[in-house]
Amino acid sequence: MTALDKIADKIIDTDVMIMGGGIAGCYCAAKAAQHGLQVTLVEKSKTERSGNAAMGIDHYGEVQNDGVTPLEFIKLNDERSRDLNGDGRFTDPNIAYKYLDKSLWAVEESEKLGITMKWDDGEYYFMPQAWFGGPRLNLRVHWQDIKPDLAKAVRKSGASILERTMVVDLLTNKGKVVGATAINTRTGEFIVIKAKAVVLATGMFSRHYEPEEPLFYKYQMKYHWCPASISGDGYAVAFRAGADMANMDITGWGFRIRDDLTISYGNFDHGDGIRGKWYTWDGEEIHYPTAQVYREIELKGKDPIYVSQSHLPDDYQKRMQVAFVDEKLISFKIAEDRGFDPRTHRYELMENHPLNHILPTGVNVDDDLKSSLEGLYAVGDCSNGSHGCGNASIGGLIVGDNIHKYVSVAGEPVIDEAQAESQKQVALAPLSREKGTEPMELELSTRYICKRYIGMFKNEGRLREGQRRLRSLKREFIPKLIAKTPHYLMRAMEVRNIMDLVELHIAACLVRKETRGQFIRLDYPEKDPSRDSMITIQRLENGKTTLEIRKVPDLKPEYLKQGNQ
Amino acid sequence: MAEPTSEKHYEKKFEFELWKLIKQRAEEKDISYHDASIEAMLEFEKTIRYRDKEFEEAAIEKRRQETLKLSELERKLERLRKGEE
Repeated sequence: MTALDKIADKIIDTDVMIMGGGIAGCYCAAKAAQHGLQVTLVEKSKTERSGNAAMGIDHYGEVQNDGVTPLEFIKLNDERSRDLNGDGRFTDPNIAYKYLDKSLWAVEESEKLGITMKWDDGEYYFMPQAWFGGPRLNLRVHWQDIKPDLAKAVRKSGASILERTMVVDLLTNKGKVVGATAINTRTGEFIVIKAKAVVLATGMFSRHYEPEEPLFYKYQMKYHWCPASISGDGYAVAFRAGADMANMDITGWGFRIRDDLTISYGNFDHGDGIRGKWYTWDGEEIHYPTAQVYREIELKGKDPIYVSQSHLPDDYQKRMQVAFVDEKLISFKIAEDRGFDPRTHRYELMENHPLNHILPTGVNVDDDLKSSLEGLYAVGDCSNGSHGCGNASIGGLIVGDNIHKYVSVAGEPVIDEAQAESQKQVALAPLSREKGTEPMELELSTRYICKRYIGMFKNEGRLREGQRRLRSLKREFIPKLIAKTPHYLMRAMEVRNIMDLVELHIAACLVRKETRGQFIRLDYPEKDPSRDSMITIQRLENGKTTLEIRKVPDLKPEYLKQGNQ
Repeated sequence: MAEPTSEKHYEKKFEFELWKLIKQRAEEKDISYHDASIEAMLEFEKTIRYRDKEFEEAAIEKRRQETLKLSELERKLERLRKGEE
């Protein structure tokens, strides 16, 4: 018996370990297995209904169409980024180029896996672009069952799926990623996974801000963007392993929407290209308000703001119902039970608040989706430059199709037993405590810190106080976390991940001394030109977090040359 | 100005046509709502104008024009507030 046998209840040897069984992870697993690799997909829930796509998807983007070339797409991408985050680039344009360039290939590959993106008439249906037209790059899809269909494709490919298994941390050796440790959240088994390469595919990070609906405690895991899984696990394990993390200062933002517990959001306020109508409470029509405008409206006593879809043509109202089937069937029942008819009623937009870490944030990758650590890749929403199911599937397929090249030269993974033992101690400790702090209590306190001290309107004093309070909470309560069952052990590991990432978030916000887009520093109301087209990079080195402001890469000369086709 | 938002927006009982169809189909065939939704949706879709670009673009353009007018109105109000008009 080796020392590792004594540490682990189970040891798994694999070529590729994929963390996260969502869209990106499943596509990646199925494609990598086609190359004859041993693939192990690790999913903390049940792959058939896990992740952001658990209940279904109604549209898939972006696919090359309407004569849009990759270079034109880069411009569109820049415009979208400007709308979301302000001037300048925040991500590597080579990644966006590759996503569009490979988009039609990904559609074909998807069909081969038995996942169709065709409409009922057997043809692809490019839907009107959100807001006011523009090229049609999004496919309208009937993907109510995308997750069970993808899980089936993964199993058929020969890849193994480890379900109900929560990754604790990555295993590294001399700067190279060689696997991970994990816990079975039903049995409490401690598992060591030896892997020649690791792919992170865990989705966005969102559970640090409050969900949208003003419901009580037991609903505090419900977000309109996603289910309860979005605790940034992939982000956190990459960070603790020493990988470069990108733009942790920038969050997505949006309104908290009343009654949104279950109603499908999908394309709702974009109305398949037809904009919604926004009103003050007393019926004055206004433009879609920024956080600053909402604040002015509040000061005038004219809030809440509401959005209405009553002006949409009948056909569009019916389309919305079809989207409910595709994206969240239960929307019908909840809307009827609550007396909320989206065809005539108005949605309350509660406040503009930070939502999630997504598109410009995450594990920093190059256009081959490799991280800064050897042997570590990241795909889908947890990687910098990816957004939504389209990028997730393309990214998964790209890595799945190419990772065999790295695996063939990676050599056998050598595990540092002391590191595995230390990860085991951290992971299992909450099970041995009888009294202490429930993970959800600590998570809600962390969300309170994010709301009170970070929020949309930031300043140095609040950020510093938030940082101090967060560190104090971490120091005092992480060692007191309790878990009555292995399932709650998963929740304990999630809150540890959330708190590590919030600490990064605050540190990055403190250093961005400017206002750009909806990153608002009340103490620095102007844009800092030295921050144009820069990426904030943070990493853990010898136990300390470093921060570097790095220039966004230029588009590669070969892409500039070929990109007009 | 539209009418103010009030409780009456939440009081009226209503039914989604497609949900009604799904429930009927599930009962008739003794199948799940999930399975019934796929059948019912395909039927319901036949009553919708998908792929009608002319219709879609006209509807999008109509709303775009309304929003442009709103912008002009907002700019005018801003000028009035500043005493420029």
